[in-house]
Amino acid sequence: MSLFWIVIRQLAQIEAMAASKKVITREEWEKKLNNVKIRKEDMNKLVMNFLVTEGFVDAAEKFRKESGTEPDIDLATITDRMAVKKAVQSGNVEDAIEKVNDLNPEILDTNPQLFFHLQQQRLIELIRNGKIEEALEFAQEELAPRGEENQSFLEELERTVALLAFEDVSNCPVGELLDISQRLKTASEVNAAILTSQRHEKDPKLPSLLKMLIWAQNQLDEKAAFPRINDLSTAALEDAV
Amino acid sequence: MPSSHPSSDLILHRLSSSDYEIKLKAIREIKNQIIGNRTKKLSYIKLGAVPSVADALATANSDSDFGSNLIVQSAAVLGSFACGVDQGVRAVLDAGAFPHLIRFLSAADEKVVDAAARSLRMIYQSKLAPKFDFYKEQNMDFLLSLLRSENENLTGLGAGVIIHSCETSDEQNILCQAGSLEKLISGLDGSINQRDASLESLATILKNNPEAVSKFAELQNGRALRSVIELTKDRYSRTRLLACLCLICIKNSSSCHLQDIGIKTKLIYILLELLDDSSQVGEEASFAFSSLVSGKEDLQKLAFEANAIDKFYNHLQNCALHPKRLEGIFLALAELCSKLECCRSKFISLQVLNLLISALTHDEANVRTAACKCLKSVSRSIKNLSAGYFMNERIVIPLVRLLSDLSTSVQVAALGAISNIVVDFTPDKSTFIQCGGIKELVQLTKSMDSSLRLNAVWSLRNMVFLADRMCKEAIFMELTVSSVASLICDSEPSVQEQALGLVCNFVDGCMDCVEFAFAEDGIILDAVGRQLWKFSKMEIGIQGMYVLSNIASGNEFHKEAIMQLLFPQAENGSHSLLSQYLQSNDSRLRTSAAWVIVNLTVPASPGAFDRVVKLRNFGIVSQIKRMISDSCMDVKLRARLAFGQINSFGDS
Repeated sequence: MSLFWIVIRQLAQIEAMAASKKVITREEWEKKLNNVKIRKEDMNKLVMNFLVTEGFVDAAEKFRKESGTEPDIDLATITDRMAVKKAVQSGNVEDAIEKVNDLNPEILDTNPQLFFHLQQQRLIELIRNGKIEEALEFAQEELAPRGEENQSFLEELERTVALLAFEDVSNCPVGELLDISQRLKTASEVNAAILTSQRHEKDPKLPSLLKMLIWAQNQLDEKAAFPRINDLSTAALEDAV
Repeated sequence: MPSSHPSSDLILHRLSSSDYEIKLKAIREIKNQIIGNRTKKLSYIKLGAVPSVADALATANSDSDFGSNLIVQSAAVLGSFACGVDQGVRAVLDAGAFPHLIRFLSAADEKVVDAAARSLRMIYQSKLAPKFDFYKEQNMDFLLSLLRSENENLTGLGAGVIIHSCETSDEQNILCQAGSLEKLISGLDGSINQRDASLESLATILKNNPEAVSKFAELQNGRALRSVIELTKDRYSRTRLLACLCLICIKNSSSCHLQDIGIKTKLIYILLELLDDSSQVGEEASFAFSSLVSGKEDLQKLAFEANAIDKFYNHLQNCALHPKRLEGIFLALAELCSKLECCRSKFISLQVLNLLISALTHDEANVRTAACKCLKSVSRSIKNLSAGYFMNERIVIPLVRLLSDLSTSVQVAALGAISNIVVDFTPDKSTFIQCGGIKELVQLTKSMDSSLRLNAVWSLRNMVFLADRMCKEAIFMELTVSSVASLICDSEPSVQEQALGLVCNFVDGCMDCVEFAFAEDGIILDAVGRQLWKFSKMEIGIQGMYVLSNIASGNEFHKEAIMQLLFPQAENGSHSLLSQYLQSNDSRLRTSAAWVIVNLTVPASPGAFDRVVKLRNFGIVSQIKRMISDSCMDVKLRARLAFGQINSFGDS
């Protein structure tokens, strides 16, 4: 039986058990688990939701063919979205902006913070490539007005512009801006904004379910001793201490 | 004046090229430059880019692939110019793009429809958008087709049109009858944007319209209402806020829906929690709170118990507050403290007053106005007024300065606060006088703006109440006799009423005070007399009579002057002014007239006997006798007193 099944059953079981106080043996527990009914269609939907939200287009396509589960959004839009995400992750911010605007011109117009972060990333890339002159001009033309339009961006703006002041950028106090993690952060932000605009929830459901499981287990822990799932990746039932 | 960048000049040049490929490329470039960039938008608008793009839109052929692409890009550019930028909306409308965008809503190509719908939605978010005429049948058909559509951009546009243009109850009713409520309700189950748009447009239709609210509440056996209530718990803060606003509209328009304490408490808690949101939602939450509790004592009580005042105070202490937030919080506090003493006490004990005082000198006029309104509410506390809590320099000096503020609404709000503060039960108003308060107030009584005149006279009236002789003289000198007389005959009845109240307070007290009414050949008394004959508001007659009553409590000369005014030589019979007042349907008027007679017939006065004779001749005595059995207690008591006095002079 797949790990996923076990996890879901565990969750449903715990919710049912929460009212009573006792010690439950492994056999008892597993018996009750087996009696919990979960629909396959629901499981498939969860998997599809995860693949789609995270942007695994090919996997989603294959999964759709093999399981007959329909995705809740058009797979073609995932391709567009992934192209944007990839562009940011590779540092091609200007390209990413053009793609987002082709997808939906409203997104950047109604998300000043996202737009600022994209402009900020552009500046970072210019500095990373040693194009200092261009970077200075860009900071003046494009980033400074953002700070004028919106006071809350000033602090971040100052931090970014500080990069220009240092000879050895990788070792300066704001050096983390040059990390790849900064690109990933920005890419994630764009991804979420696109999902929201496509009327899709920006977070997949699966993590919420797992969080719910952990929480529910902790709650039940206060009232009973029962076999827990401590390692989510294996979904193995471990006896209570 | 922004200098044109060499590259933008090039782009504009290519924009007007006859080669479509070049034109399309230029439009796309502009699009990518302006989206998200307010500065660039303004720059291109000034350079005149909008008409060129609008032209491209108008002349494109939607049947060809290339034409569609051109339309999509142009529409996106125009929509972006209009997004949140009023000059942009103006420029797009002036360039004549609107009818073309409407036309493209029925294009075959879905991308064209989407682009046009988005742009129109941006335009309709601005006040400058053209007003939609709900009275034209073909317009309503069009609107309903939008709401019925499967395309979210089109339903969003429909909702946007309603939010923008639906203002009167007739328009609301047209929308209801055409079935728009049902269409919008289905949007409550849709995506985030659909839900928000539905909530906002429903609130627009239901606002102040009990009929529409009843209809809504009955739909689907109340399921629609329950959906809205559910949405107050949504994970997105903007949705929660819009759901609350919708419920507030429903609650304020209906006497039977949403009246239980559970929903009231829920709304209060949700709005207070939304204050913590750092986005615009947090700003708007306090305004929503104000409309929830405004004028409703029960809600103010609930809010007090939910520690609303503490919460607002905590937010105020955050120094980097956006002016809009400050305004919202002070307005909310003004509503909270408008009726309940417990709220005012809490306010004062928390020392919120210190923050309020600094807000009086804020750069933004709206913040200053809100702070004054708040002070007006808090200064209704009689306990603190009589302790002289407000009559100190910290408060009075900035407040008096606001009387000459550039913004009229600030002046009016300051006057409101001053009117209360000067009802100081201590006779010493020197603080106020010393910082030039009287000069300012008197100056405002001459304003062209009637609300300024009204509130200034009101403040003076309150100030003169129980004031000592020196204070009265100071004010009287500053005002001058002739201006008092002209205020009594002001073009606005409400100003007349306050002016008479002012005189009433002037002449109340010592014998010397009564002399005020006789200054400069008695022009004030003449003016009072004139108003008594032809008053347009009941309150004016009442005030006027009390002026006479106060004067009649003076010496012989004063009493005779009143007799002369009430019974001029030529008049006779039962048509006298006093007689009419005694017969009035309004008990307050009867009471005031009775008081005059009480004061005129005080037995100790030398001329009392002659006055009684005269009163008898004019049939007043028999009227008074009948009034001993008046239905109103106040009237009865005065009539009895007067009659008793009259009787002591012999038979009646």
